[in-house]
Amino acid sequence: MRKLSAAVFVINIIYSLNSFASPDIQPNIVHEKVLKNGLKVLVKEDRRAPVMVSQIWYKVGASYEHDGITGLSHVLEHMMFQGTDNLEPGEFSKIIAENGGRENAFTGADYTAYFQTMEASRLEVSMKLEAERMHKLKLQEKEFVKELQVVMEERRMRTEDKPQGQTYEYFKALAYTSSPYRNPIIGWMQDLEDMQVTDLAAWYKQWYSPNNATLVIVGDVDKEQVFSLAEQYFGAIPAAVFKPVKNRIEVPQLGIRRSIVKQKAKVPYLLMGYKVPVLNSVDDDADIYALEVLSGILSGGNSARLASNIIRGSQVASSASAGYDMNARLPTLFLFDGSPAQGYTAKQLEEALLDQVKQLQTNLVEEKELSRIKAQVIASSVYEKDSNFYQGMQLGMLETVGVGWQKADEYVDKVKGVTAKQLRDVAKKYLIEDHLTVVHMQPEETSNAN
Amino acid sequence: MRINLAILLGFLTLLISTHSIAVPVIQHWKTDNGANVYFVPTNGLPILDAQLVFDAGSTRDAGKNGVAALTSALLDQGAAGQSAQQVAEKLESVGAHMGVSTSRDFTSISYRSLTDDEALKTSWGVLNDVLNKPDFPAVDFAREKKRTLLGIKKRQESPATLAQLALYREIYNHHPYANAIQGVEETVSALEVVDLKQFYQQYYVANNLTVVLVGGVTQEQAKKMVQELVGSLPAGKKASLLPEVNADIEGKTIHQEYPSQQTHLMYSLPVLKQNDPDYFPLYVGNHILGGSGFSSRIVKEIREERGLAYSAYSYFRPMRQKGPFLIGLQTRNEKVSEASTAVKQTLKTFIQHGPTDEELTAAKKNIMGGFALKLDSNKKLLANVVGIVTSGVPLDYLNSYTQKVAAVTQEQIMQAFQQRVKMSSMVMVTVGQSVEQKTNVD
Repeated sequence: MRKLSAAVFVINIIYSLNSFASPDIQPNIVHEKVLKNGLKVLVKEDRRAPVMVSQIWYKVGASYEHDGITGLSHVLEHMMFQGTDNLEPGEFSKIIAENGGRENAFTGADYTAYFQTMEASRLEVSMKLEAERMHKLKLQEKEFVKELQVVMEERRMRTEDKPQGQTYEYFKALAYTSSPYRNPIIGWMQDLEDMQVTDLAAWYKQWYSPNNATLVIVGDVDKEQVFSLAEQYFGAIPAAVFKPVKNRIEVPQLGIRRSIVKQKAKVPYLLMGYKVPVLNSVDDDADIYALEVLSGILSGGNSARLASNIIRGSQVASSASAGYDMNARLPTLFLFDGSPAQGYTAKQLEEALLDQVKQLQTNLVEEKELSRIKAQVIASSVYEKDSNFYQGMQLGMLETVGVGWQKADEYVDKVKGVTAKQLRDVAKKYLIEDHLTVVHMQPEETSNAN
Repeated sequence: MRINLAILLGFLTLLISTHSIAVPVIQHWKTDNGANVYFVPTNGLPILDAQLVFDAGSTRDAGKNGVAALTSALLDQGAAGQSAQQVAEKLESVGAHMGVSTSRDFTSISYRSLTDDEALKTSWGVLNDVLNKPDFPAVDFAREKKRTLLGIKKRQESPATLAQLALYREIYNHHPYANAIQGVEETVSALEVVDLKQFYQQYYVANNLTVVLVGGVTQEQAKKMVQELVGSLPAGKKASLLPEVNADIEGKTIHQEYPSQQTHLMYSLPVLKQNDPDYFPLYVGNHILGGSGFSSRIVKEIREERGLAYSAYSYFRPMRQKGPFLIGLQTRNEKVSEASTAVKQTLKTFIQHGPTDEELTAAKKNIMGGFALKLDSNKKLLANVVGIVTSGVPLDYLNSYTQKVAAVTQEQIMQAFQQRVKMSSMVMVTVGQSVEQKTNVD
């Protein structure tokens, strides 16, 4: 993320069953057109307000990088605002601002996306500018040197000076062996220091092309007009020939992994993660939706198990949550994190969380508990329609990670279909000790006390 | 969103052609016991959002610092004889949300539900219990107090939080705004259940309450629901006026040593009350100075020219009494001197000369052209209505918003900044490691 707010460097994953259409309430109609050069255009008309959001998603991100060049996708995202053949550095932003728009960009492990939110009649402005920087980026040494400093400051803010942020970095590096998810999205500091503007030029050439992008427009727009504007501005950009990304599937984990991370912190912190598959890595998606609901059973609201049993019940935790991103491109982790309550240790919190896992593996979840999670999913699928941005984000992300935007439509029904038995089965199948990584963050002042 | 009874605002602008934007009409009534109610019906989505705002922020702590925040945290932890678990289960069984938050000025309960009969009836019932019959159970009190104390301890891990706390302590001195919203260890440790109950009885009363509803219900429904919800709250007394802030303070620089790689810098003084006549010139001026990201001077100077920070900004935060004008950034320790000099110079130049014509035109284009984005979801609409009704501006504030922006002149901005932003009264707080400074000499 290049500006002032964070979206993608999330460490405390809050449970959100990212859901979509609820057909009985409002039809969820998405129009798709693929241009001759391979650019996929998705349009969702929503006429509640005279505004639109335009997002362009590129299939590139930190998980496309290899050792030594980590952080490249994110620095390139920053440089996309620093001038093209026809735009001075900063001019892109200036034009959007003068048209009343808000804009930003974000980089994740599996995608890089740019967006503008504007009054609907300004759609053409955003398309014209995005088309320009898709193929005419001008990478200049002076701007690069400065922007790299900015990114290093961003890293210091998010990681070096945030005990939990830094702990999460070490946690991922321990949990993954061959998966590219082991590297931080923002990149290791050493890799940032070693980065050259020529690295960026090669990366841009390799990944930025119409056949590696998805344009998503949501709002008070007419689909035919969007398609014709897309043709007008993007149609002439040539498709690129690029090598597909290497698979780099994580090797099987053969036993529990543990580590301690000492930090200048005041409160201990615990991270745990089990290796799990994702929608994109399986043919039969039944387990995936069951894992999704399982994270809801644990952490979906104040009545869910972690709040109920270990924050309120045993009071071992001051905070605790579980999370699972079923829409990752590659197999990922089913995560737990939390801080022990005063008087308890991270070890005791770990035991309490493992006990919650054991219960899920042993006993069937009650029907009432399950239906509560489903009710929340259905409600969320309506609440999410209050935001054009969120609707666009779902489509863009699903398409970019390889799942396909059509999966959005299935979400609510698939979640509704999950049974208590399936929950117990996936808990037994995936939440096993050999596939677990545990990191205790120890406040440095107390780490030598015992 | 499509809004019933909306006035079409065909504003003429000198700068851009803008579509007519439907500005919501805010309906207003008062309950018999004195609560003010504001309602905007919307079409399109079967959602109801509500916010209950009490004049019960941390400024009402009165020596028991942290009591307002802890009282609000306990509301849903046991009510009408039900446990915290039962309350949460009921609410979540229909997919509804509820949350509480305490700021210096207010405590708010926010609510969102689907509008079908079952969801609405169930979730509104929970809200009713939580509002009218919180039990403050001893065991839940003890736990939430412990969690608050741990949160207070955790503040020491964040140089950004430490800087903000130090800044408020300094610029507000003996005013209640000086205190941390969650309190400090000594004051929170001393709190008892009875303190919370007393606080609740005094401040959670109809005369001290503003209710805002936005969503897919009729006015008739809304009236009935609100009556049911707040009709039996004691009328009580409106909270007294807060003491004035003494903004005539002596400027100073305060450094707090912290073992971080970056130094967090904040530069501030109290300036703006809600509904202040200088609001528009200061708002538009700040948009140019540091309120609009990449188009603003502070970002250009600190980030784009010098690569000193990821985030650099300025804002005015209007509050009941004078809220802060604040410039903030964070930079590697050895550059804090360069950054602080650049910030002061940028502000000084802006106060002396104001914006250029070109900057002013661009800012107006951005604010006016983006007006529709302020109102494009129920969530944002709710936030705007809450802002309007709690700050005391006229209910048709949004109707004239763009004209007021359009009318701001370069002179007015310069004058307002010169009168209101006295650099000699500004406090600079830095939190980070003292190291030898590396400054680029131009």
